[in-house]
Amino acid sequence: MCLAVPTKIVSIEGEEAEAEIGGVRRRISIALTPEARVGDYVLIHAGFAISVLDEQEARESLEIFRELEAVEGEMLKGER
Amino acid sequence: MQYIDEFRNPEAIGKLLARIRSRSSRGVRLMEFCGGHTHAILKFGLRRLLPPTIELLSGPGCPVCVTSQRDLDTAMALAMTDGVILTTFGDMLRVPGTKGNLQEIKALGGDVRIVYSSLDALTMARANPGRQVVFLAVGFETTAPTVAAAILSARAEGLANFSVLSLHKLTPPAMKAILDAGEVKLAGILGPGHVTTIIGSRAWEFLPACHAIPCAVAGFEPLDILEGIYALVDMIESGTPRVRNAYARSVRPEGNLEAQRRMQQVFEVEEAQWRGLGPVPSSGLGLRKGFESFDALLRFPVELDASPEPKGCRCGEVLRGVAQPPACALFGRGCTPENPVGPCMVSGEGACGAHWLYREDRMLEGTG
Repeated sequence: MCLAVPTKIVSIEGEEAEAEIGGVRRRISIALTPEARVGDYVLIHAGFAISVLDEQEARESLEIFRELEAVEGEMLKGER
Repeated sequence: MQYIDEFRNPEAIGKLLARIRSRSSRGVRLMEFCGGHTHAILKFGLRRLLPPTIELLSGPGCPVCVTSQRDLDTAMALAMTDGVILTTFGDMLRVPGTKGNLQEIKALGGDVRIVYSSLDALTMARANPGRQVVFLAVGFETTAPTVAAAILSARAEGLANFSVLSLHKLTPPAMKAILDAGEVKLAGILGPGHVTTIIGSRAWEFLPACHAIPCAVAGFEPLDILEGIYALVDMIESGTPRVRNAYARSVRPEGNLEAQRRMQQVFEVEEAQWRGLGPVPSSGLGLRKGFESFDALLRFPVELDASPEPKGCRCGEVLRGVAQPPACALFGRGCTPENPVGPCMVSGEGACGAHWLYREDRMLEGTG
């Protein structure tokens, strides 16, 4: 029930917005995320955006995984 | 950035697993609070990929499952009340009450309708001014603000035929109740990513502070979950329990303040009955003074007979992490998602349902 899906906001009208995921558009409420802007990715839960996803933080997480790969790669080389 | 595939990269998953393996030196028992995590862990086969030192237990994080038998029976009684349209999320429909489920009540002529959002229930109330629309509000902190927002809208537009049966529950008190009971020795908690998006990662500080165990808040993609598990193992190995946020793209230390504000405006904290845990102080949300007119129970008082637990069902023990689903004598033998005896088998977040859906023999059938 706490399922929430990342969706991109394509238009905003007051507390309502249109969001798109996989080519499908649906109306959602942004009453709980007044900071949401067109182009933002938000997590949708039960018809409401519950957070605006932070792209910088997402990139940093992915960067850590990439560094991890590099470090592990070096370690494997060193072991050889 | 689509925020899904990036977090399912097989190569990064392999590296992270290797890192967990090399960091984990002793046996630890971790609890994933959230049923969404249980499903993702089993769906992506992560259990079998983790080293044998790491044991994962499901927690009470399934709102449908922790709803008490009494509260389920109350919802069914409301559904049978003349003039009422009972609206609810889809996974409540087949949860067995003492005398059948909502789907059966619907078949007998009860007006039960599935909605995707509390706002759909408002739309239904506007379209049916001669009927009473009751929203069966089940869910944790993730869902409660959406229901609060609907109630505030209903009040603003003077919608008189909308009310709510609030069965909302709060997650930190349940986690505390499990740790205080001490039935299972837990070394760390994988924190629920979407609940914590609302309440903030600070809400879990009591875990290291009062129980001396770490908490890692995680998202629901494989990399998110493994990053959370790595953070837990790392903190356990180094003996430095803290709260780590492994879902920073959505979770902030303070949470979603606007959602909290609306939730507090409409609801007040009260004791709640949990399946498996019994009464837990300060763990439920009732309607605050000034919002009584939206309380379905005040509008439609119901009278109930006794609500015994389903016979033989070990859902309560599963929710406390005391029993694993396959240990239940009914698991797959008399209790399946098609014919559930208890809610843990039928809910989309129930641990029994997840273990049944992603069981190993079935997975092998699928590949054969």
